[in-house]
Formats: sequence, structure tokens, C-alpha cells
Amino acid sequence: MNRHGYGGGANGQAGNGAYPLSPTFVESRGRTFNIRPDKYEKYQPRNARNAFQRRRGLFMRLGGALAAMLLLLMFFFPSIRPTAIIPALSLGLFGVGEEWQIETVRYYDLANVGGTSRGWEREERILLCAPLRDAAPHLPMFFSHLRNLTYPHNLIDLAFLVGDSKDNTITLLSDLLAELQAHEDPKKAFGEISVIEKDFGQKVNQDVESRHGFAAQASRRKSMAQARNWLLSAALRPTHSWVYWRDVDVETAPFTILEDLMRHNKDVIVPNVWRPLPDWLGGEQPYDLNSWQESETALALADTLDEDAVIVEGYAEYATWRPHLAYLRDPYGDPDMEMEIDGVGGVSILAKAKVFRSGVHFPAFSFEKHAETEGFGKMAKRMQFSVVGLPHYTIWHLYEPSVDDIRHMEEMEQERKAREQEENARQDRMDKINSQFDTDGAGQWEKDKQALDEAQKAATAAADDEKAAAEADAIVVATDEASEVRHTESDNDGKAKIIDPLAEVPSLGGGAAQAPAEKPRDSISGMKSHDEKKDAAGQLVNKPNNAAVEKKEKVAAAQARAQERQQNKEAGEPSETAKRDQRHKVKEAANL
Amino acid sequence: MAVPRSLRRNNPITYILAGGLCIFFLYFFFGDSAQLPSLPKYGAPRQLLKSKDAASNELSPPSLPFKKTKLQEGEVAPPPPVVHYHMNNVTTTSDPVGNRESVLILTPLARFYEEYWDNLCRISYPHDLISLGFIIPKGRDGNLATLQLQERITKTQAPTNKNRFASITILRQDSEPPVAQTESERHALGAQKERRAAMSRARNSLLFTILGPTTSWVLWLDSDIIETPPSLIQDLASHDKAIIVPNCFQRYYNKDKEAMEVRPYDFNSWIDSPTAKGLGEKMGPDEILLEGYAEMATYRSLMAYMADTNGDPRREIDLDGVGGTALLVKAEVHRDGAMFPPFPFYHLIETEGFAKMAQRLGWRATGLPNYFVYHYDE
Repeated sequence: MNRHGYGGGANGQAGNGAYPLSPTFVESRGRTFNIRPDKYEKYQPRNARNAFQRRRGLFMRLGGALAAMLLLLMFFFPSIRPTAIIPALSLGLFGVGEEWQIETVRYYDLANVGGTSRGWEREERILLCAPLRDAAPHLPMFFSHLRNLTYPHNLIDLAFLVGDSKDNTITLLSDLLAELQAHEDPKKAFGEISVIEKDFGQKVNQDVESRHGFAAQASRRKSMAQARNWLLSAALRPTHSWVYWRDVDVETAPFTILEDLMRHNKDVIVPNVWRPLPDWLGGEQPYDLNSWQESETALALADTLDEDAVIVEGYAEYATWRPHLAYLRDPYGDPDMEMEIDGVGGVSILAKAKVFRSGVHFPAFSFEKHAETEGFGKMAKRMQFSVVGLPHYTIWHLYEPSVDDIRHMEEMEQERKAREQEENARQDRMDKINSQFDTDGAGQWEKDKQALDEAQKAATAAADDEKAAAEADAIVVATDEASEVRHTESDNDGKAKIIDPLAEVPSLGGGAAQAPAEKPRDSISGMKSHDEKKDAAGQLVNKPNNAAVEKKEKVAAAQARAQERQQNKEAGEPSETAKRDQRHKVKEAANL
Repeated sequence: MAVPRSLRRNNPITYILAGGLCIFFLYFFFGDSAQLPSLPKYGAPRQLLKSKDAASNELSPPSLPFKKTKLQEGEVAPPPPVVHYHMNNVTTTSDPVGNRESVLILTPLARFYEEYWDNLCRISYPHDLISLGFIIPKGRDGNLATLQLQERITKTQAPTNKNRFASITILRQDSEPPVAQTESERHALGAQKERRAAMSRARNSLLFTILGPTTSWVLWLDSDIIETPPSLIQDLASHDKAIIVPNCFQRYYNKDKEAMEVRPYDFNSWIDSPTAKGLGEKMGPDEILLEGYAEMATYRSLMAYMADTNGDPRREIDLDGVGGTALLVKAEVHRDGAMFPPFPFYHLIETEGFAKMAQRLGWRATGLPNYFVYHYDE
């Protein structure tokens, strides 16, 4: 059935017509018939695309805008930059970070840290060392001193060694340091601050008595030296030009002390250290006896001693006859005056860091028969460094009453109370007497006054005769003296006798002066004994003479003061005396 | 077909307005908080540093590395923190690696030998517990040594090196070396006192400025020690002695036998003799006793001659004087004050005086006659 003239495919032979067809076309047309339009293969239905894809452009633009905004913000406000996150991110991403941030190599030229007289201009760093033990009560005072220092604070590095403390030194110190360092003015903040906690396990008691007892001295000084060496070796840096040692219990020191000492440009320099005393102990006293010049006697003594013996200054056991810096003080002397010394005291030492760098330290053994700061001075001298003291530049150590002093103060307090009681009793009695006297005396006084007026009238009436008047005057004067004598003789009832101030004053004054006069003598002898304890016995020959003179002066002064005080106290009385004298005069006049 | 509504709102003005508003809000948000009184950032800056930590400030012990602080223009560095050091926890035990004890290797450096540095890098003690300290004299030789040293340091201490040392400090001395340091002049008897006094000062400067509060052990190693066992520190520390010194020998080429041989080098480690004590008593206070000179026969027992190359390397002897070529010291000995006296101390100077001073402080020196380190042969 050939329906197509050019066909022929139906009956097998393809391409029989004028236009032969490709076999594949024929095959496909022959087998399938697809009615789907092509366009449905090209396009997906609308809802097949998800919302994200559709709005991708929008999201990208939004994100871009946000990022730009954040960057802008970070540009304007550095505080919101996630500085903490960035290194963490980079650490996670690149595996580097910490080691790139860490600096391991340092280079220092020690020629730059030699120390000069004008360190504050050359930005020389100072290491301030303070060994502490049970020092909590003194810390606030010490920190106020630190704040007041005029040397640029950022050039001062602080180092503390806290050891064997039984009180809250360490917590208090940490709090005070944090406060110090958080000062609102960044220029007031200090440099490196190291707190070194190290217990040496010392059993030595730190109270005043045991601290200054002779037997404990050598071992105490050695353990102090050890603590100082540990502190220094842990805190000294190649950047330091100076090292300043300061005890926390310094009460008064100039704010400019660092500059003042530095100006002298010495390797080791110490000021004079005194301490204030209560008036009854003489007002003030040399404190630090470890700054001295070497003497022949001491050198000879040192040769006789055992290798491990330590000569400690200020005890009668070792008479060294050394000139002490402390005793050479003149309150009006030139504060810049220098004195070569061999041993130094540790209350306040300014030394060039090169001294410590070259090996000078605080011997914790007997070095040339000395230990700690005295040994330090000796060792510095041995290495040809200059060691100098300033006799007239004084700082004041805190006064801590010794057990003797406290006992004495208690006694004084009791005596004072007894005297007060006595005085009160006498006052009461006098008041009583006064009141009694006044009750009789009031009427009498009126009468006397009248009599006086009358006498005056009579006198004016009689005044025309000059000669008579002169005669009358003479009589008044004469009888005045006589009346006084009569008065004391005749008034032999107790009342009047006691009340008579003329008789009273000397006896009172004497009595009162006696008591305070005894006191200074006591106290001076107390002080002297103190001195003896503290001084080298070698000073004893010079000292007692001085002390004796001083004592005499003091006694005299005290007596004078007491009398004056007594007189002032009785200042009310003389007016009454005068009154009564007048009264008598008038009586005599009236009799005439 | 209609354009979707969302696309129509996408005009730039909207974004700009939105952004502006956002900035406005954020400005007030942050601006306000800036007005509030903020707490000080360094409220209670209490830190506790251990030997391995990096300090947070440049003002810190040189025996510790520190973190660099990057400051913006005009920014003021915060004040250094208050750092606490618990020195009760700084131990020196026979197991220094186990207890993570840090070691400070100190070297007075006059001439730099590549072999010295190579040997140093081979030391098997954990390098993050080792700090190095060098002191180099002024002058041309010193400058050259510094350059060579710094070249090696930059390679070794590169941040990429996992095995770098914890920290390295280089000090330049403030004074010139007293005499030219040629080998013959250096050992002349007359020049000895002056030379060794200067050496003592250099050692002390190095020690007391770098020791720091975290160091447990100090190893003195001369710059001409070019061969040591890699486990030197562990071996010496395992004896748990205050001061311990190995025997210092020298490898040289024996022309007669045409072979490498060893000979003793350091004669400063000795046990005292009555003769030497008698000599000392007759001397003036500023004279010194020296070892190894024919003019001065002291008859001391020298550790150098007690060596037995096949003997037990752990054999110990008590010493009265020590040499400084290689010397391991517990840091507390130095902290107590034992230093290298630059003046005649009991007629002894430098390392020998150090042993004497340590003895006065109650520490004893020990020698290991059969444990060797080797000196460079000039």
C-alpha cells in the first residue's frame, strides 16, 4: 500500500525516493513520536528556583554594605576592633602566631648604664630594693614616700623580697602596688615591679629587743645579707644604672633624696640616719651606727678574732673606737659635705649598679670580720670603689620604743597621773580655803574700800601742806614692810599661811621643779645606757663627758621650765597678793 | 510579564539610607558606652611568672622571653604589671627535666667558634628551658665575635625553629680587655692576676644581671669548649651537687705518633695541699696563688691528672678550687652571694676564689675526674 509517491519506506527500502533519508532519522521517526515542545526542556518551572538563588544579588549587596559599615565603624572606633580574635583566628588558620609574637634575643651595652650625676636627664634606670619581713604596719608610710619621690617614676623599678612573714605583708603589698600602678596619670606609674616570695625559714624574732640583742646579731646579719643577695640577684637587670636600698621604716626623708645622693656621683653613698625620740629621751638620737670609718683599734681587734666572727657596731663587747657618721652630724652643717667611710648602714644606700655587677654584695659570711651592709662597704672598698657618707644630710628612722622605753613610759604615765591627782587635791583644798576666806573677806573688803576712800579724802584735804604729805608717804613705805612681817607672824592660823602666795610660790616651785628635774636625769641616764648599748664602747670615753654636760644643761633647763610653768599656773595668785598688800597699806594709812 | 516587586526596591538610595541609619544607631550605642565611667584596664595586674612563661613586658628578667607589644601611633604603653615570683618553687633536683627546671648557660665570649655553637645546639636538654647569656668585651675582636654570634643566633632563634632557646642575652662589657688575648700572653704569670680580675668582673656582670628569679641551674661554659656530651646538663645535675665540674681536656694532633690524642687542659680544679696553705700564709694580702706555673710549686692534687679515660664517669671527688671552663652551679649558691672575686680572696681569684667563697657560705664543690669536655686547640 504505497500511499506516498516518493515514499517507499513503508515497504522496506529507505531512500528509494528522490530525497534519501538518513537511516537514523528514519529509525527514530519510525519508532517513537514525541509531542513535547522543545521549550519545556529549556525552561524550568518558576517555583523550582529557591528564594536564595533568586535574591542572591540582594544578599550579596546587603552583606557588602554591612561589611563596609563594620569596617567604617572599626575605622572610626578602634575600640571595637576584635583585636583579641584576630591572633586566635590566624593561629587557627596558619598555625603560626605565638612564636612570632615572642622576642627571645636581647642586646645590651653595659657602657650605657655606668651611672652619672644627672641620671634623671639621661633616663638612667634605678632599681629600688626593699627587703620586707612582717612589715605590714610600715607599708602605707613607705608607699607615701614612693609616691612623693621626684625622680621620674617610670625610671624606677621596684623589687621587694617578702620572706617568713607572719602578718599580711604580701596581700597588703600586692594591693598597694596595684593601686600605685593604676595611677590615673601614666607618668606616675613605676617601671618593672617584682615581688619575690622566698622563705628562708629563719627563726629569728624581728621585734626590737631580740633584733638588737648582741648574741643574735651575727646570725641575724648573715640571714639579712642572704635575703638582700637573693633580692638583688633576682631583680638586677642589664638596664639598671643605679641601685637604691631603702628600709621601709624610714619615717622622714627628702623627696629629692635620689637626686641629692646621685649628684655626688659616688659609687656608694649613704645619708646620715637619725631617729626622733620623745622629749624625755632627749628629742633625737643617732640611729644607724653601721656607717663608720675604719680605725686602727678595730683592725687590730679583727686580727685577734676567729675567722667566722663578725664585728657588730654599737655593742660594748667590741670597742672599735671608730668615727661614726651618725655622731658627726651638725644640724646646721653643709648637707653636701662628704666623708669617706668603710662600713655602710643599710637604711638608705644609693650605689651604682656597676658596683653590684662587678660582684660586690652583702656577705652572708664573715668578710674581713664583717657581714651584711658593713661587709658590703668593706668589699666595695676592696674593689676600689668610692664609699662615701653625708654626715649633715639626715633622714629620720621611725622610733620604735624598746621594752625599756615602754616600761619607762608607763612609769612616767603613772607618775604623771599621781602628780595630777595631787595637784587636783591641792586645788580642791585651795578652792575650799579660798571660798572660806572670801566669805569672811567680802565684808572686810568693802569696809577697807570705804576706809581707803576716806583716807584718800583725808589725804587730799591735807595736801596743801606738801611737807606733811611727803612725811605721810614715807610712813606708808616704812609700814608696808613692817606690815608684811607682821602679817606672816601674826596670821598663824593655817588658812592664811597656806594662802599666802609669797610663801607658797618658792616651796611649790621647788617641789614641782624637783619632780621634773628628777625625770630628765632618769631619762638621760636611760638614754645614756641606751647609747652605751648602741654605741661602740669606744665612744664611751668621749660620750659620757658630752652626755654629762648635756645632762646638766638639760636638768637646768627642765628646772627653769618647771618653775616657769609653776609661776604661770599661779599667775592668778599674785594679783590677790597685791590686793592684800594694798589692803594692808591702806589699813596702815588709815591708822595714821 | 511583571518585574518581581523585591527587585524593584533594590535601589542604591535604600542601601545608603539603611547604612547611614545603622551607623547612626551604632554611633549612639557605642558613643554612649564611651561616656560611661569604665573600669581601669589594669585593675589588679598581678602576674605569676614561671620559668617557661613569656613575660608580658619588655621590662622583665632577661632569662625569660617576652611578648612584643605593638603600639598604635600615639598610644601610651600600659604600665608594667606587678609580677610575683614564688622563689620557693624554684627547685634544683637531680631530675631537672622532669621538674622542668630552667638552666642558664653563661659564656664570657672573647672569640666565637662555630664548633662551640654547633655543640650548644646539640645539647639534649629541652631548649625551651635553656636561656643563654653572653658577655663580649669592647673593641674590634669583640665586635667581630658579636657579628658572628648574631649571625648564628638569627638562624637558631628563627620563629620557625621549634627547637630554639628560651632566650638569649648579649651584653657588651663597659671596659676594654686589659691585655691582648693571645694564647702565650694570656697565660703569662705576671698578666694572670689582672687578666683574671677582669674576667671575674665580666663573669659577675653576666651572672648578676641575667640570673633572674626563675633560674634553677647556672652552667658556665667557656666559648672555647667545642665538644661535650649532649646530655651534659642532665648528667651533671643528676649528681645533685651545689657546684660540679667535669674534667676539661683538649684534643690535639700528636705529631710524633701522627694521631689525635687528648691531654689535660684546665688545671684550676684541685684539692688543696698543706704546701699551698703555707705559701698562702707567707703571702701579702694582695698576692695570689696560681696553679700550673713552675715558679710556684703548690703540690695541690689536680683533677686533671686524676682522669682515667676508661674509669667510671660518675666518680666524684671533693674539690677546693674549681675551673670555669665548664661548671654547673645551683642558682642558690650564686644567690647567696658566691661570686667570682676580682680581688685576692684567701689568695685566690676568679673561679678558684669562687669555690672558696662558696665554701665560706657552706657549699662544697665536687669534681668528676672521668667525665670529659673538650677544649679548642689553638
